[in-house]
Amino acid sequence: MKLTRREFIKTNAIAAAATTAGMSIPGVAQAAMPQSEDGVRWDKGVCRYCGTGCGVLVGVKDGRVVATQGDPDAPVNKGLNCVKGYFLSKIMYGKDRLTRPLLRMKDGKFDKNGEFAPISWDAAFDIMAEKVKATLKEPTQGPNGVAMFGSGQWTVWEGYAAVKLMKAGFRSNSIDPNARHCMASAVAGFMRTFGIDEPMGCYDDAEHADVFALWGSNMAEMHPILWSRITNRRLTANHVKIHVLSTFSHRSCELADSELIFKPQSDLAILNYICNYIIQNKAVNQDFVKKNVGFFKGVTDIGYGLRPNHPLEQVANNNGYPGADGKPKGDPNAHSPISFEDFAKFVSEYTLDKAHEISGVPKDKLEALAKAYADPKVKVTSYWTMGFNQHTRGTWVNNMIYNVHLLVGKISEPGNSPFSLTGQPSACGTAREVGTFAHRLPADMVIFNPKHRETAEKLWKLPAGALSAQMGYHAVAQSRMLKDGKIGFYWTSTTNNMQAGPNVNGEIYPGWRNPKAFVVVSDVYPTVSAMSADLILPCAMWMEKEGMFGNAERRGQMWRQQVKAPGEGRSDLWQYMEFSKRFKVEDVWPADLLAKAPELKGKTLYEVLYANGQVNKFPKDETVKVNAHARTDYTNDESDAFGFYVQKGLFEEYAAFGRGHAHDLAPFDTYHKVRGMRWPVVDGKETLWRFREGYDSYVKKGEGVRFYGYPDGKAKIFALPYQPAAEMPDKDFDLWLCTGRVLEHWHTGSMTRRAPELYKAFPDAVVWMHPKDAEKRGLKRNDVVKVSTRRGEIELRVDTKGRNKPPEGLIFIPFFDEHRLVNKLTLDATCPISKETDFKKCAAKVVKA
Amino acid sequence: MNISSAIVHARPGSAAVVQAGLATLAGVEVHGVSPEGKMVVTIESEDDASNVAIYERIGQLDGVMSAAMVYHQTESEPEMEVSVEAGHRAMPQLQGDLK
Repeated sequence: MKLTRREFIKTNAIAAAATTAGMSIPGVAQAAMPQSEDGVRWDKGVCRYCGTGCGVLVGVKDGRVVATQGDPDAPVNKGLNCVKGYFLSKIMYGKDRLTRPLLRMKDGKFDKNGEFAPISWDAAFDIMAEKVKATLKEPTQGPNGVAMFGSGQWTVWEGYAAVKLMKAGFRSNSIDPNARHCMASAVAGFMRTFGIDEPMGCYDDAEHADVFALWGSNMAEMHPILWSRITNRRLTANHVKIHVLSTFSHRSCELADSELIFKPQSDLAILNYICNYIIQNKAVNQDFVKKNVGFFKGVTDIGYGLRPNHPLEQVANNNGYPGADGKPKGDPNAHSPISFEDFAKFVSEYTLDKAHEISGVPKDKLEALAKAYADPKVKVTSYWTMGFNQHTRGTWVNNMIYNVHLLVGKISEPGNSPFSLTGQPSACGTAREVGTFAHRLPADMVIFNPKHRETAEKLWKLPAGALSAQMGYHAVAQSRMLKDGKIGFYWTSTTNNMQAGPNVNGEIYPGWRNPKAFVVVSDVYPTVSAMSADLILPCAMWMEKEGMFGNAERRGQMWRQQVKAPGEGRSDLWQYMEFSKRFKVEDVWPADLLAKAPELKGKTLYEVLYANGQVNKFPKDETVKVNAHARTDYTNDESDAFGFYVQKGLFEEYAAFGRGHAHDLAPFDTYHKVRGMRWPVVDGKETLWRFREGYDSYVKKGEGVRFYGYPDGKAKIFALPYQPAAEMPDKDFDLWLCTGRVLEHWHTGSMTRRAPELYKAFPDAVVWMHPKDAEKRGLKRNDVVKVSTRRGEIELRVDTKGRNKPPEGLIFIPFFDEHRLVNKLTLDATCPISKETDFKKCAAKVVKA
Repeated sequence: MNISSAIVHARPGSAAVVQAGLATLAGVEVHGVSPEGKMVVTIESEDDASNVAIYERIGQLDGVMSAAMVYHQTESEPEMEVSVEAGHRAMPQLQGDLK
């Protein structure tokens, strides 16, 4: 039978949609071209964008990705795509892909004020090595002055190779991921409440819950595929109800049975009210609480993560900053045991009247929500993202949603689930599990703990004392230390902090342009960050390398390299490993440390960290064997470059950290065959619900529930108060400014703005505003306005209707638009415990431009 | 050109209205409707911009509850003829354990 290519592709498209919908389409010819004639080679992959982790099938023709399709066999998305995933095939082919290293030069030499000019990789690594060595020797900088800002979009092995290079090689703990801006509060919440990171439940909860509560999450736009599972549940089971809590009305509210629009920061009061309601109405699950929960009171004057000279920090006695005597002022994380009765008394002041007064939410809506949590017959799943995490009390508010679920025992079983969603594809898999934070090591271990350092040193075959206990600079501290001249070498990758970080005018830009700092940006496009750097390194992305991501439900997923990077683009993995060859151990380690391991003398960091007998254990022909089920003669660029199966070696060394410690990953080869697995994977079986007997093999028979993250097997409920935000509207700046995303663009738009369809669908950021607020200022829809805060101003158009509907007194601006940098306006206040910025609250004013 | 497919879900009782709405959009075809109101739809567009625009318009049609995308392919030579074997599953052909 003869068809045009157009008809053939259409047939494929129809068949794919029909399969996904579970329909058969009569009259559509079931057709397939022989492989040779079609020329499209298909393989499984993972979406490049958010933390949902949708499976996609990737079609390659003539060395280019030409087609993508939702993977019908992927349990996460069952064949569906969102609009961003739909156009995945376009993200690698923007016209302005970076293809050569570029250095700022004048008269043939590096000059911080020079123009970008192409140089070789060799020359790029030369100047980088020179700057690293100089920083290590500089007394005001030293090891922690060599800093890296990485990403929740790093593949697992890229993050792992980076941690090794920084923490074991350069002995610097100043490595932090952009995930600090995104879910550090979720991590700190998990660690404080449960002693172990990441959600206990999984996406299957969406098919079991009776009630869904969204807290500061617009899933309809930001997690559309998970939202489609919730939509399906809501529409197929009549009793199901959805409560959406937010500071403004958005697309998720369209499906909501109850929309609770609250005043910024008042989520703290609402959560305490719900606990009070549960206690007052005798709905506490007494058996569960007695057996599984301890009660604690946290310290409260913890500050706002601002610079130490800020007035709010000077009056805070538990912010951990140096006091007048040079010693730390308390510890923001400190807490002490109390009784259940103490806790009940603590929350008793959060009455319905008080919660209503603080939040502005109608009483009947507050009560209906509290009732849903309290009713033992109703299964409740709570979802949250940046509304909770980007919060100066982000750790608290994470602790406080667990308070609610723990009081009623609605946790760790199908449909009863407090679920922290993530925004990046491997915020869990790489940033959290690999431990690419300034304070972390793999598998939830931390640098402050001598036993944890010892474990890592042994697994990495390093002498005792190789790892430093000195806290490195976290994301916001990195910007400040660049400005203060304490960081001499700064390498960022797979992230765009000059657009996404807070207070660009006040901290980040002056920091990067400080003559004392040399800034390297590894990226695929000339982002705002790349253009602000001293050296730009061209990267390979997504299907141009072999990868593994870990999504929000603990699912690890791998893909094979499908195409080559353009020009001289190289993966981050290649960059870290190749760069490590530029250093002898003697260059970077003190003599007394090296004396403990004389066998390492004269070796390069490459030999110590990567060619260590473990990472290089699997010969190159393993790439063919491991992937023979899917591809003939498969290989990848890194394995070709270094002569062994690099990804497998790094993965297996890394996996040793978690196996037997409740972070078990399956063998490497398995992931290349399956559509991901949720850890802990024990005896080949994944874990859907943690901490509960029957689902989680780490809970022994007869134990029922055990929160084994803490040695006593108990989770912690925290008594914590409502406190105001760091900056609030006043007479000069009279509006709340909230920032975030839109459906069409992912984060700073460096990929989605290269898909012409997505660019045109939403080209420019706007400021959403209530019609009455606009009228008061003499503004009409589409007028150009000037939005300013104490830190800067931007101009953009005003929108008074459409998808986002702020209440009076609040404006919303998305951050995807590089021409309208809303982060010139934001305040770099953080949660003092998690160090995550509050991008949702500062004071702004709007006038006609 | 862009060729893509989507599943459009109509509100209960609105399938006919949605079908009528879809018929007004250029490049959009409905290939099947399930009893629950799910429709298999293809979208063909010559230029990049119109694809998302059409998708957005589908989402805004009266009676549409959701529109989820499934398949997307870019083709530079749409009118080229190819021979096709009938009777096979018109799905990406994955090898071995992957299928």
